[in-house]
Amino acid sequence: MTTWIVLGIVVLIGLWLIMTYNGLVGGRTQAQTAWSQIDVQLKRRHDLIPNLVQVVKDAMGYEQETLTKVIQARNAAVAAGAAGPAQSAPAEAALSQATRGLFALVESYPQLKANDNVKQLQEELTTTENKIAFARQFYNDSVASYNVRRQSFPAVLAAASLGFGPMELFNMPETEREVPKVALR
Amino acid sequence: MAGATDFVAAQKANRRNTLILLIALTVLAALFGYLIGWVFQSETSDEVAAVSSFGLAAAAAMAIASIGWSGLSLAFGSRLVNAMAEAREIRKEDAPQLFNVVEEMSIAAGVPMPKVRVMETDALNAFASGTSLSNASIAVTRGLMNSLNRDELQGVVAHEMSHIANLDTRYMTVVGVTVGLIALVADMILRTLQWGSFSGSRRDDDKKSSGTGILVIVLIVVAILAPIAAKAVQMAVSRQREYLADATSVQFTRNPNGLIQALTKLAAAAAPFPGVSRATQHLFIVNPIQTFTEKSLALMATHPDVADRIARLRNLGV
Repeated sequence: MTTWIVLGIVVLIGLWLIMTYNGLVGGRTQAQTAWSQIDVQLKRRHDLIPNLVQVVKDAMGYEQETLTKVIQARNAAVAAGAAGPAQSAPAEAALSQATRGLFALVESYPQLKANDNVKQLQEELTTTENKIAFARQFYNDSVASYNVRRQSFPAVLAAASLGFGPMELFNMPETEREVPKVALR
Repeated sequence: MAGATDFVAAQKANRRNTLILLIALTVLAALFGYLIGWVFQSETSDEVAAVSSFGLAAAAAMAIASIGWSGLSLAFGSRLVNAMAEAREIRKEDAPQLFNVVEEMSIAAGVPMPKVRVMETDALNAFASGTSLSNASIAVTRGLMNSLNRDELQGVVAHEMSHIANLDTRYMTVVGVTVGLIALVADMILRTLQWGSFSGSRRDDDKKSSGTGILVIVLIVVAILAPIAAKAVQMAVSRQREYLADATSVQFTRNPNGLIQALTKLAAAAAPFPGVSRATQHLFIVNPIQTFTEKSLALMATHPDVADRIARLRNLGV
């Protein structure tokens, strides 16, 4: 009789471990997939910016200060990109800021606004900016629910020993909300 | 806080609801079949049998028909819906901005990129279809693309994306089939009774037992009420889904103004939507048939009133 009770408890604990493990794996995989999406979009932005800067430069006939700043911010972000979410976040936020400056520049020059190449690149860069924001949103939501799950009772008892550590959020500094100032000429 | 879990929970609820609905449909269809067979046998013989062999056979036939029909509609339903609405699949080169916006929303929802379709009409509308995350598609009208700005388009696409992420599209396909089958069966019953009483009147009237008379009355009542009740349930479910999709849309875009402005434009637009079918009206973001100015009253509206939807969006406080 006692053997059966012990056996029953062991089986129950085994089942619980399997369910906890599967739940945590699912949450972590969702977050990792979301992160790879951010990564793809950040790289795409790094590739797009030199094209847009070149087209704007050709259309204007000279290199404006805003353009130099964008390229500097882009190169800094590429350099920081290898280090992981927390390290690259400030550089990427600075790049977002510089990109908005570039958009404002385009808005203030009619010959730029009317240029088809500029329009097309601007739409591509806009969507990439949006995709970064939405991917970050989904990544942070996924990480938050994963972290809650691994810290909830009773999963908290097993999470660490099963090898599920906490994941870090991808937060861009609040400067990104500021309206950029554009110096004309 | 954990936004991702919300639509995962909605998906689970919808999967369960779809299954319950399928079971209820099958039971209901079998019950109808049994009643028909029973009445038919009672009319042609002298006594009312408690267990009718005709009834059992008809019940089995109806159960098989309903399961088969549901299976077919899940397999071909979205293709049929898109064909009926003349929604043509496009590539990125055809409409880069629309394509980009759909891509953005698929990232926000964490679902695979759906197919993008365009309907060539000046009417302003959009709908989502698909019975799983992998075969989903979003269709918008040419008029919508021309008259909405980027933020508004994003709001509409986010609304459709949440129908996909919540698996509403599959749920509504099955609901549509259920209601269609119940209507068809009710129609069959009424026809059978007409024919049955016709043949009965040629026979000697005192041979008919009173039991048959009661059965016939029950059948008439069921046949009249069942389609109305089923339709009311479908419309109530549809209205709830619209509110949920509006809220989820804002969860994706974090910008209620885009959808609010878009709904305002959609409600004000007068362009008619020619050739749209009543069978697909519940799929669209605003009802393509109803006139928007009149308050969508009573039980039979597929969509809540646009003003009410906008008021709820303003109350989200994002």
